Amino acid sequence: MNQFLGPLDQSGRVPPRQQTRVAAFLISAHGALARRLAFALPARMKAAWHTELNAQLHQEAETVSLLMRATFWALDPELLLLVPSWEAAWLPKPVPEIADLTMASTIDTAALGHAVHAAIRPAALLPDKASGDDPFVMALRRIEFENGRLMQAQILFLKGQDLLPFRDAVNAAVEQRHAQVRELWDAMLKGVGVQREGRS
Amino acid sequence: LTYLKGSAWGSANVGGLITDAAMPFLAYCSHRVRYEISGPDTGPAYVLVNGLTQYSELWAAYRDTLVAQNFGIVTFDLLGQGESDKPTLFIGQDDHVAVLRLLIETLGNRPIFLAGISFGGIIALRYAIEHGETIAGLVPMSTFAELPPQLFLLGNAMRTGLILGGTGYLQDMLLPMNLSDAWLAPLMDKLDTVKRQGWLVNDVYALQNLMESFLHFEPLTPQLHQIRVPTMILNGEFDFLTPRTLHETLRTHIPDSALIIIPRAYHAFTLEKAALTADLLVRFAREVMEKRWSGGGAVRIAPEEAGGQIVPFPAEFDHLRAIPARKPAS
Repeated sequence: MNQFLGPLDQSGRVPPRQQTRVAAFLISAHGALARRLAFALPARMKAAWHTELNAQLHQEAETVSLLMRATFWALDPELLLLVPSWEAAWLPKPVPEIADLTMASTIDTAALGHAVHAAIRPAALLPDKASGDDPFVMALRRIEFENGRLMQAQILFLKGQDLLPFRDAVNAAVEQRHAQVRELWDAMLKGVGVQREGRS
Repeated sequence: LTYLKGSAWGSANVGGLITDAAMPFLAYCSHRVRYEISGPDTGPAYVLVNGLTQYSELWAAYRDTLVAQNFGIVTFDLLGQGESDKPTLFIGQDDHVAVLRLLIETLGNRPIFLAGISFGGIIALRYAIEHGETIAGLVPMSTFAELPPQLFLLGNAMRTGLILGGTGYLQDMLLPMNLSDAWLAPLMDKLDTVKRQGWLVNDVYALQNLMESFLHFEPLTPQLHQIRVPTMILNGEFDFLTPRTLHETLRTHIPDSALIIIPRAYHAFTLEKAALTADLLVRFAREVMEKRWSGGGAVRIAPEEAGGQIVPFPAEFDHLRAIPARKPAS
């Protein structure tokens, strides 16, 4: 097991099989967030925070679009099994102790968004020598950078005054989504010979 | 900044002592805290508390020096740092103090000296206020008990920088603020390598959580008098992130304290002047154990190199000024 993607080819490119698996995972996760946001966004905006929702939706769509074009795809039959299992994981989950279904759904969407944006660090998988001219390398760096900004909306919402009475429930929901996302991400990486430091 | 990554369980033979350099985890609530103990099982031990963007490997030079001097040494990653768990939304400073309490409990009945830098200095101060009876001495370094406007605004700017530019941007801000030209110059063409390990182990959300634990920070000054253990306060001569006045608050409120100014040093002198700082830690602990320590609110100047003489700050001059201004007559 390696800590980073690779071995790189002579031009500093990540092997196509690793590109394919990583990109498929990220497309699944960010695609799921985009679908949830599209569902939550009203046709006509009525509150200021709807503008942020709109921005998030299009940023998630950009991530998916970027990966589809920047990845050097390889045939990977295992994805036929993996993708459905990932998609199932992103489905809405109830949040215990939150009786209001709309609020629970919003918290779960934000928790999943926080986990996908915070727990997954695709650029940290790149070895030192990865070529900055390679589109896949650039895509991973861009996605990680943008994730740091995107998660601010989730942080503001999840740590906001409105949810303070439900702090423990919200915290538990986010911790669970993080654990789930990390587990799937680590398992996917192991499948292509990568093990993040400190994870076994 | 050579980052030497050891195996999960390594061992070293230092000065005839067989010492285990273990990397176990401590359980705190549902979280794991990664720590490392080196050196003899008995006798004095130092517990070192990281700064905000630090990770425990950056104390490697201290481990070597202190173990060679028959000290135990404990380093750890705070919750939210390095290989310790990173709580997703909330980390309170009380959590760090509680972790420290658990860690110090595991060391048993031996003289414990607690040292912390910057953010870690706050945690060490809070620990000494709440659990002073469990330590033999305290070393706050590049730290503060208050958040005056300059530091508050700098902290806000760093948080905004982290949010907008990520960990890399925060590092870009901190490196030139906290380290000298002499340290940076030979590394100018390798800065990406210097920053890489810190960037790898630090997650934006976790650093943000650590920073946001200051949003409701209450000054510690009114409680500093409760610190009854010998205290050596270390401050870099050119530290403008936490300047002299912030350390002066510690000196004037902690009864058995002395302020030692590290010449030509900036905020991150523990990194830049590791040999000197480790030597000062050893000398302080020995003075305390041999009952030779006398803080007395003194202001002293550390030597340029390890082993040199610590001299008093000239009594007639004002140590809070950057020019040789005489103290006002009082």
